[in-house]
Amino acid sequence: MQLKNLDFLLEKCKSAPRMTLAVACPQGDDILEAVVDAAREGVVDPVLVGNRSRSEAIAEELGLDLSGIAFVDEPNDALAAEKAVKMVSSGEAHLLMKGNVKTAVLLKAVLNKEWGLRSGSLLSHLFLFQVPRMPGVIGMSDGGMTMYPDLPTKVGIVENAVWAYHRIGVECPKIAALAAVEVVNPDMQATLDAAALAQMNRRGQIKGCLIDGPLALDNAVSAEAARIKGIDSPVAGEADMLLVPSIEAGNFVGKVMMYMSGGKGAGVILGARRPIVLTSRFDNAETKRLSIAFGAVLSMS
Amino acid sequence: MEQLRSLTALLDYAKRIGAEKGPRKVAIALAEDAGVLEAIEAARKEGFAFGILVGNGDKIKAEADKAGIDLANYEVVDERRGEAQVGLTAVQLVSSGKADIFMKGMIHTNYFLKALLNKEIGLRTGKTISHCYFHEVKGYDRIFFIADAAFNMYPDLKTKADILANTVGLARSFGVECPKAAVLAAVEVVNPDMPATLDAAAITQMNRRGQIKNCLVDGPFALDNAVSEESARHKGIVSEVAGKADILLVPNIDAGNMMVKALVYFSENKTAGLILGASAPVVLTSRSDTIEAKTLSIAAAVALSVFKG
Repeated sequence: MQLKNLDFLLEKCKSAPRMTLAVACPQGDDILEAVVDAAREGVVDPVLVGNRSRSEAIAEELGLDLSGIAFVDEPNDALAAEKAVKMVSSGEAHLLMKGNVKTAVLLKAVLNKEWGLRSGSLLSHLFLFQVPRMPGVIGMSDGGMTMYPDLPTKVGIVENAVWAYHRIGVECPKIAALAAVEVVNPDMQATLDAAALAQMNRRGQIKGCLIDGPLALDNAVSAEAARIKGIDSPVAGEADMLLVPSIEAGNFVGKVMMYMSGGKGAGVILGARRPIVLTSRFDNAETKRLSIAFGAVLSMS
Repeated sequence: MEQLRSLTALLDYAKRIGAEKGPRKVAIALAEDAGVLEAIEAARKEGFAFGILVGNGDKIKAEADKAGIDLANYEVVDERRGEAQVGLTAVQLVSSGKADIFMKGMIHTNYFLKALLNKEIGLRTGKTISHCYFHEVKGYDRIFFIADAAFNMYPDLKTKADILANTVGLARSFGVECPKAAVLAAVEVVNPDMPATLDAAAITQMNRRGQIKNCLVDGPFALDNAVSEESARHKGIVSEVAGKADILLVPNIDAGNMMVKALVYFSENKTAGLILGASAPVVLTSRSDTIEAKTLSIAAAVALSVFKG
């Protein structure tokens, strides 16, 4: 846990030149609230691309002030997604945010071969969590872009995360490949993949990080639990990021942190040429602001 | 009985059972460990458990001395023929009726389970054996029962139904008369590409058709819809279980284990666990569990041992 808290994301946004955020389809109360908040706090300069009249109606209802925020009126969702993506791929904006548009519609635009944001990497979701009981920030990936990743996909997920950690100043993130147990069990695929990832890291096939696994979650985040189990590992008890084996596992861990442990966090989609901010309508305001800031910091050159 | 809404209430309930019916007898396989002895000593002092300590008598004595525990309050069964035999000797105390609860001490889990499942002197009933963690979490007015995050690795539909039935029994022994069970997945809609959602739908229907009784089941749910009424309302989910779940049925050991450990390490909580489905309650704790967690597990075994179904 080399990062002690997430506030540096906001500080960096406020002190560095402002990044421009293209929001595809902002016409949703939670999205507009988040974007207006981020603009007011000086986190980013938003450009809203979507249904202007509906956005203005929602803003009026919620008492949100849209004055001074650039707006490109495009009532059609697919076309709004296209325009927002093109703003980012042309360099007019620095990063993208998913608004009130179906994920599939937005990703289709992102992955367009001519004007999209493809980079050749797979897309993955990285979430950084901060919970009161933990001494530092814990990342988790993949947050559900791939439901049941195989080994090569897990390698891609790790590479995306390592890129992001390097951008936020963590030179060698410690990554725990999680399973239900800390020993290799031929009947448990997650433990086999974890062992393979650890060895690939040792052989230099995955660079810029320190991977160990399989680790159970307790061994990954608690040095005491690792000690009791007799696990000798530089990652145990100090993990910066948890690599989860399935969408269910990631979902449960994330929701325990956000709903049952008083947590906050910051999440983005990685692997496109520019980061994509993705918030859930249930994220609290701070998490939404931090997610936008996380995307903005990753976009800085 | 009144519904137990916290693990402190569970402890009080176990004390009441001890006062009314006398302490339950706990056979501990390989009791050569100060931590295990401290847990049973705490339960003894509360009046709800009496320990029968199986293992090398000299080593048990040494560990008891280390923990400042007087063995005059215990029965020691000196068994030095190896871990496999320690397991069998301890389990036979339970199957023969000399003890009420089977508990793992320092014995390796494999030997413990072999003894538990032994066809002649074990505690098999033909039912599926499953594990249940139960948690008290700050901010919630009830105990969460999570199954199976430890024993059945990748249960199929039938096994999930059995796990649920075992867990319902435990919840009912805690006074939750008709527990609400949420079958968890990553999403709350049925998705043909996500097997957990299909199983959840099937288990829900099995409950509606009376194939799974004494509980109210709904699923699939994402964890937030199961525990937060507000989140369920936002998603437009109409369900008597949404936001009010007592039981969280997880799809596999990976997801369940990570969820339980996230609760233990990230939230403000108390946690304990039991093995269910055997002919007597079985306490299987991990070395890294706190003494409090071990004592709470014994208290739960005591509650289950007097439950008549």
